[in-house]
Formats: sequence, C-alpha cells, structure tokens
Amino acid sequence: MAKSRSFRLTKWACYILLTIMAAIWLLPVIYALTTSFKSQSDVMQTGFRLLPASWIMDNYVRVLSNTSSAPIVRWFFNSLFISTTHTLLMMVFVSLAAFGYARMDFKYRDTMFFTILAISMFPAVVNIIPNYMIVHKLGWVNTPLAVIMPGLGGVGNVFLVRQFMQGLPKSYDESARMDGANDFTIYFKIILPLIKPVLIVTSIFSFTGSWNDFLWPTIVLNNVDQLTITAGLQLLQDIYGNYMVIGQLMASAFLAMIPTSLLFIFAQKYFIESLNLNTGIKG
Amino acid sequence: MENSFDNDNTQHKNRKGIKFKQWVFIGPHFIFFVVFILFPMIYGFYASFTKWNLIGSPSWVGLENYEAILMDPTSSFYSQFRNGLVNTLIFVAGTVPLQVIIPLVLAVMLQHKGVKGKGFFQAIFYIPGLISVTAAALVWLLIFNPRLGPVNNLLGSNVTWAVNQPYAWIIIFMMTLWGAIGGNMVIYRSAMSGISNDLYEAAEIDGATSFVKFFKITLPTIKFPLLYTIVMSTAAAFNVYAQPLMVTSGGPEQSTFVLMMYIRNLAFGQGQSVAGMAAAMSILLGIVIVIIAAFQFRLMYRSSK
Amino acid sequence: MNSIKKIILGTASLSLGLIAGCGNDDEIVMWTPLTGEDGQVMDQMIEEYNSTDPEFPVSHVVTPDLYTQIYTVMNTGEGTPDLSIIHADRVQGFVELDMVEPMDDLMNTHDKLNSDNYIEQAWDAGTVGDTQYTIPLDIHSNVLYYNKDLLAKYDAEKFLDDNVVTFDEIMSLQGKLDEGQYAINNSLISWVLLAETVNLGGNISDEDGNPTIDTPEMHEAMEAIVEVEKAGLMTPNGEDGFAMFQGETVLFSSDGTWSSLAHDMVEDLNYGMTNIYAFDNETFHNRGSSHLFSMLKNEERSDEKEEGIADFLTWINENSITWANAGQIVASREVYESDEFKEYPQSFFTSSQEELDSLLIFDYEYYGYVEAAINLYINDMLYGNISIEEGLANAQNEVEDLVAQGHGADINIEAEEDAE
Repeated sequence: MAKSRSFRLTKWACYILLTIMAAIWLLPVIYALTTSFKSQSDVMQTGFRLLPASWIMDNYVRVLSNTSSAPIVRWFFNSLFISTTHTLLMMVFVSLAAFGYARMDFKYRDTMFFTILAISMFPAVVNIIPNYMIVHKLGWVNTPLAVIMPGLGGVGNVFLVRQFMQGLPKSYDESARMDGANDFTIYFKIILPLIKPVLIVTSIFSFTGSWNDFLWPTIVLNNVDQLTITAGLQLLQDIYGNYMVIGQLMASAFLAMIPTSLLFIFAQKYFIESLNLNTGIKG
Repeated sequence: MENSFDNDNTQHKNRKGIKFKQWVFIGPHFIFFVVFILFPMIYGFYASFTKWNLIGSPSWVGLENYEAILMDPTSSFYSQFRNGLVNTLIFVAGTVPLQVIIPLVLAVMLQHKGVKGKGFFQAIFYIPGLISVTAAALVWLLIFNPRLGPVNNLLGSNVTWAVNQPYAWIIIFMMTLWGAIGGNMVIYRSAMSGISNDLYEAAEIDGATSFVKFFKITLPTIKFPLLYTIVMSTAAAFNVYAQPLMVTSGGPEQSTFVLMMYIRNLAFGQGQSVAGMAAAMSILLGIVIVIIAAFQFRLMYRSSK
Repeated sequence: MNSIKKIILGTASLSLGLIAGCGNDDEIVMWTPLTGEDGQVMDQMIEEYNSTDPEFPVSHVVTPDLYTQIYTVMNTGEGTPDLSIIHADRVQGFVELDMVEPMDDLMNTHDKLNSDNYIEQAWDAGTVGDTQYTIPLDIHSNVLYYNKDLLAKYDAEKFLDDNVVTFDEIMSLQGKLDEGQYAINNSLISWVLLAETVNLGGNISDEDGNPTIDTPEMHEAMEAIVEVEKAGLMTPNGEDGFAMFQGETVLFSSDGTWSSLAHDMVEDLNYGMTNIYAFDNETFHNRGSSHLFSMLKNEERSDEKEEGIADFLTWINENSITWANAGQIVASREVYESDEFKEYPQSFFTSSQEELDSLLIFDYEYYGYVEAAINLYINDMLYGNISIEEGLANAQNEVEDLVAQGHGADINIEAEEDAE
C-alpha cells in the first residue's frame, strides 16, 4: 500500500514540477513571439501586456521583403548545405576519434587526449587572425569549406562521445574479439549502435552550432550570395544600439530559428525512440 | 586496407599494427585539431609576449604584458584582470551548479515511467537555447523592465533590476540558465537510457526510496557523461561574454564586467587593437580553466573509486 | 573506410561546385559597416549608380564587424577591398599605420572631389598633415529630439525660440513635471558630455597628442549633467531612455539623427529636432561622426580602377540625396543645399552656417579609447555610484595605459618612414 502511494505521489510531483518549470521556460518564448507581432508603439507605449493590441505582420514582411541586398532564400540553402555537411563530417570524425581515445589501447592514449582537451580549453579570441591566415593559405576564403572545416578540429564533441563509450562495459569488445572481430567491426557493429542516442545529441549540437555561428562566416565569406542565414540576418539588424525596432529583431530571431527548432523536434522523435530501444535491449 | 586490421587485435604482438592502427581512428580529427586549434593557439601564445595591433607583425616584449597584468597594481590592465576574473568566478559559481542540477532533476523526472508528453516537455526546455542571444537579452530586459515588464507590474516592485546588485546578476543568471539547461538535459537523458529498468525494479522491491535509487543507481551509471557536462559547462561559463554585455553592459560599477569582455574590448574594441595584452589575458584565463578542469577530473575519479 | 572516403570526396566536390565567381577585376568592391536600414539605402544608391552603366560597377559588401575584417585582410595582404567606408575617428590611426592611400590622384583628375564641395568638418576629418585620405559621405550627429505635445503641456515651447535649449531652461522644469515624466533622457550621454566639454573650452587631447579626460572642463561639464539628474529631471538609472521617449514620458531625447527612422514608426509621436542642450545660446556643439570613403593600401588596384572609383565618388557627390533616407546629414554641398534635402528633418543642421559650425567631429588618433573609457564610467558618475573625480581619473588612467601600448608599434612605423 505504502509503496504504491509513494509511487503515485512521485508521478504527480513530477508533473507539477515539470509544469511549473515549463511555464517559466515558456513565458519568455511566448513573450518574444507575441512581441514579434507588435508595432513599435505597441511595445513602447502600452505598459505590460502579453498580447499585441493589434496583431501585425509588418515586422516579418520588412525582414523578408528586403531581397535586394538580402537573398534570404539563398542564404537559407547555403546554411542548410553548410550545416548538414559539417554535421555529417563531424559525426564521422568524432565517433572515430572517440572510439580511438576510449576503446583502443595505445601508449600515452589518455595523456594525449587530456593534452588536446586542455589545449582546446584556452580562449581563442585573437586566434581569429591566424585562423584566417590558414584558411586563406588553403584557398578557402569565399568558399563553403571555410565555414565547414575549421570546426571539425574541436575537441568538445569527441570528449562527449568518448565519455559515453567509456561507460560501456569492456566485455562487449572482448567477446567480439574472441569471435574474430577487428577494431573496425567492433566500432561499427557494436559500439556505434549502443551510443546512438548521444550521436543524435551530438549531431543536433553540431548542426545548431554551425547554424548559429555568425562572426566567422562574415569574416571568411565576403560574397553576399554565399553567406549563411544567421550571418546574413545580422546584416539586417542595425548596429547602433539606440536604433532598435524590437519587433523586427524578434521576427528575424524567430525566422532564423525555425530550421533548428524543426530539426530538434524531428530528431527528438528518433532520439526518444532510440532511448526506448536501448532500454529494451539491456532491460 | 581491410587486411591490416585482421587478426592482430586480440593479441598485441604485431608491433606495427599496434603503433599505427589507432591513427586510422584518431587521425582525421587530429589533423584538423592541429591545423585549426593547435597552430592558432601557438600563434596566440606567441602573441601574448608581444605588442600587437593586429595590423603589422607583433613586436616582442617578453614578459611585459604578464608583468603589467599580474604585478603592477598601478596598471589598469592589472585592475581589469582582477575585476574581470572575480566577476567571471561569480558567474561560474552562480550558474554552473544549477546548469547541472536543474537538467539532472528534469531528466530524472522525464525518465519516470508514468510521465507522458516527454517530447513536449523536452522541446520546451531545449528551444530557448536556439534563440539568438541578442533577442533573448531583449526579451529578458523587457520582462524585467521597470515600466513595461511583467515582473514589476505583477509584483508591484520598484526595483530597477539591471542596474542594482544583486538583481543584475539575477537577470544574467536567469537568462543564461534559460538558454543552457536544454543541452545538458538531453545528454543526461541519453546517459540514463543505458540504465536497465530491472535495476530500478529490483531496488524498489528492496524498498529503496527515489533518493536512494538516484544516488545508488542513476548517478554511478551516468558518471562519465556527468563529468563531461560539469567540465564543459564550467569552461563555457568562464568564456561568458554576450549575456552581461547585452543585459548590463558590465554595470553597475563594472560589477558584472567579466574577463572575456575586457579581453574582447582590448582585441576588437573601439580604437586600435591591443591584441598582445588580450592574448596574455586569454592565456591566463585558459590556465585557470584548465586547472579547474583538472581538479574536477580528479574529484570525480576519486569519488567514483 | 570506403564509405567515409565517399562522403568526404562527395562533400568536397559538392562544395567546389558551390564556389561562385568572386573577386572581379571589372568591379569596385566596396566594404561598409552599414547594417540594417542604412545598408539597404546604400544598396539602392549603388543600384542607381550601376544603372548609369559605368566602366566599373560597384559591388557593395556589408560587414557587421568591419574593423575586425579589415585587420584580418590587411594581415594577409590579399582580399583587400577597392574602397571602404570608415569612421572619422579611424583615419588618423590608419594613416599612422600606413594603411590608406591618399586621394590626391583622384582629386587631380576629378575637380568635384574638392574641399569646397563638402561640409568642412567632414572633409577635414580625412586630412592628415596636408594630405587628403578620404572623401566624406555624411555626418551622423547627436541631436536633441523634443516631444511637441509634452513641450506644449509644460509651456516649454519657448525653450526652442533661439534653437538652443540651455541647462538653465531644463532646470527650470524642476518640480513642475507629473510623476513618471522626465525632462531629458540619457541616450548617447557620452556624446553630450564631449560636446559640453568643448562648449566650456576643453578638448580630449592636447597639442602633443596626449589624452585629456581628467580636466577641469570635463569635470564641470559632468557636474552640470549630474545636477540635472539630482534635480530628478533625468530618466532614472536602468530605464531605457530611448523607449521612454517613444513612450512619450520624456520631453527631450539626446540621440542620433538616425533614430528618426525608428521614431517615425511610432504613431502619434509628435517630435522635432534641435541642438544638443548647452550652457548658453552662444556656444553649442553637436558631436558627430562621419562616414568616409577610403582606399586601403592594395598593390593590385590599377590606375584605371582608381579612375573608376573617382567617377563613383563624383557621382555620389552629385546624387547622394538618396542617402538622406538613412537619416544622415549628407556631406555633399550640392546635395545639402538642394531643395529636396530641405524636406528631411536633419536638414536642420545645414540650415545655416551657425548650425554647420556646431557639428563637432573628433579626429584624435585615440578617440576610440577615449569614448570607450568615458562610456565605462559615465553611467556610474551620472547616478552617483562613484564620484566624478574618481570616474574621470580612472578613465584618464585607462586611456593612458592603452596609448602607451599602441606606441610600441607606432615607433617602428615612424622609423620606417624616416628611412624612406
């Protein structure tokens, strides 16, 4: 009796806490969204109200209608190509490297990993100049390669996937080796399927990170037609802090996040499926 | 290619195989690491011993930059570094624990069998992280705006948040957590998926409470991913820059002026760049981050033994 | 392994396929920091120019982080734009670092490009020694907006009669305003402080090029502004003064000319423009900056292309009325004297010689440091978190430290120049 009561209590406690947290987390999003449908006078003059006095599409129209200098559709496809390619390459590089650092035996493996991790933790503010020089030497300026490639050297994702691989029992590899499997088979057939959830997470992170980057693309892509959407929308916002049309800024922020939100919602389906699958195998 | 992998794995006798096969796995990433992280970092390290305005070539000054930052109390770089570092530490202390605990609690609750709508809740906690920092800062400033915002209007409060402490920090913390918990939450969710339900059920039969189950089963299983989130959230927090810049511009009295704001102002602020000094401050900040990360690693490994 | 190779090769070839033709010898590549509305107006103007079928059409590249980008390309020496728009306070530094070409050749062949045809201060901002390094596009200046309805309500319209609102006039509103209403906001307050300092005979640098922030003049100017705040007439700390002006709770707003574009979007906001407030109606200044066309050093720029650039700048001189749509004061005499320009509110500043003289552009090499340091302390000084003495002394100290840093590099370049 007591046990089942405490179980139900927990479930409802979960719901209550989740709902409260969700409400707090959602309020600013809704406020931002409704603000994107407000006129400048509405934002500035009518005290606090969540909903616009009258709903207007002006902010979206103004952001989208400036096609002379802002080929938004083109930017969108540039971003899609760049972020997708970056993410696919990242998945390959990261899962391979993480496997190497987590599940292979070689001399100085951990020393080497911790060294590259430590190096990658130094803030890279002035490094933008040497980075540009390298990309320039490689002849990548004004090509998508300049934004796809440099990020692949990052250590964060390798670290994440490595941590997950470390959590898997050694006995999996050992029994596979007894059956004559080589490293590559173990990587591909045994380890990869087991870390599917975190691979999905990593791909969401990579895609979002690549999609949202704005400083680097504007440095290496001087051709308006080649810009990414996040960098491109940056050009439409005024740099003077004092001249702000708040509704327009919100509108462009929402336009820019549509693809990443869709990706998340789409990937989430597989993510949750893969979570259930995993529990199924081992449970 | 395929043959080289064959049969030399179970026994480490083929020396050549042992020496080189790991490079097939770590090599591709390592090349990119060397070209795009290591080389620029070495250049940055070199720049920290120079005066450099980013235009010409750097001119060597030895330890001068470090001396000004660390030993010369009359230098404004000395006071900027101290103030920036203290404020950054406040930010780290104020956000990192919550950036770990809140998503962990959420993930545990979403893990609960009886809870429906997991995808819905998960999306709500994740999506704020996708909004650009500029737009996010504007929304939070509107929310805490003394005249226009809901907080003061509903609470009947008179506080001007962004210019008074501790309220200025509170807005910055709120906004940061709002955007940052989603990532860690999905990491914990994937980590917890590896836990077998049998374990929990067995524990329940033994009469274990939720707390016991969390500390005895959940935490040990996810310790490696947990370490990742702690280390990386800390490193990211040390690099904080956009939130204080947008919300408070570093005020009041530079009490939210974090180190990365000083570094960026020196390198890419108004007027000629002082990149050598900025590089030296970056290196010092990097050393702090690495020391703290090493400390976190040690602590986690020791406690897990 | 094969599949990985395929992915990599496939991606690489796809990427190469996407590389469009960039860098064209037949066009003038121009970089500008003009994001937002400004960039669109510039695009429109360039479209007009290109439709005249010039030998070298102009291709406009907006970059939100212009100076970072200039640093990166100057470092590699390649990819330097043919033409770029920079701000007035960058010229001295760029010349000192030998980054910009003189405009002499262009001026020799195109007589429109001549000091007589531009607002004096905008032209002078590009003069270093006797050499002209830039051709001006505009001045964008500090301006005092006023809310006509609120002025009528408080019988303050008489403040405007001599075109200068004085500190005394503002102070006379003390105790007369409804709760929640204020006389003046704190937008661009550091620009106001600089103008007041000059009104009192001060400056930000001495003859030797040393920064002068901690001076009696700036101290007095700051004190006068603080007094307005202490009288409860300035919008409170932490309030968005720009928003409050648009929300019609403040009579005056010291803002930039470009903000009129945003003000126009607020229905029922009945506003006008006048000079930044001053101590008396004789001496007044409006601190501004200027967008200037410049040619960054680039060996590959051909003489023919320079000719094309001169053609473009001449066309701008004759046709930049479009630029008035960005809310800026167009620098070309032909334009600002035209009837068309008089339709724009910012023509207030070109309406008389006295107004033209009030435009104040700093060309001090280290202006950027000065403004940043003042910005860092002004809010805390204004609202009494720190004393004026402390704020100005700290700002002075910081700028001196930064200037000392710069000198290491400067000395080298000067030595090189001497050798030549």
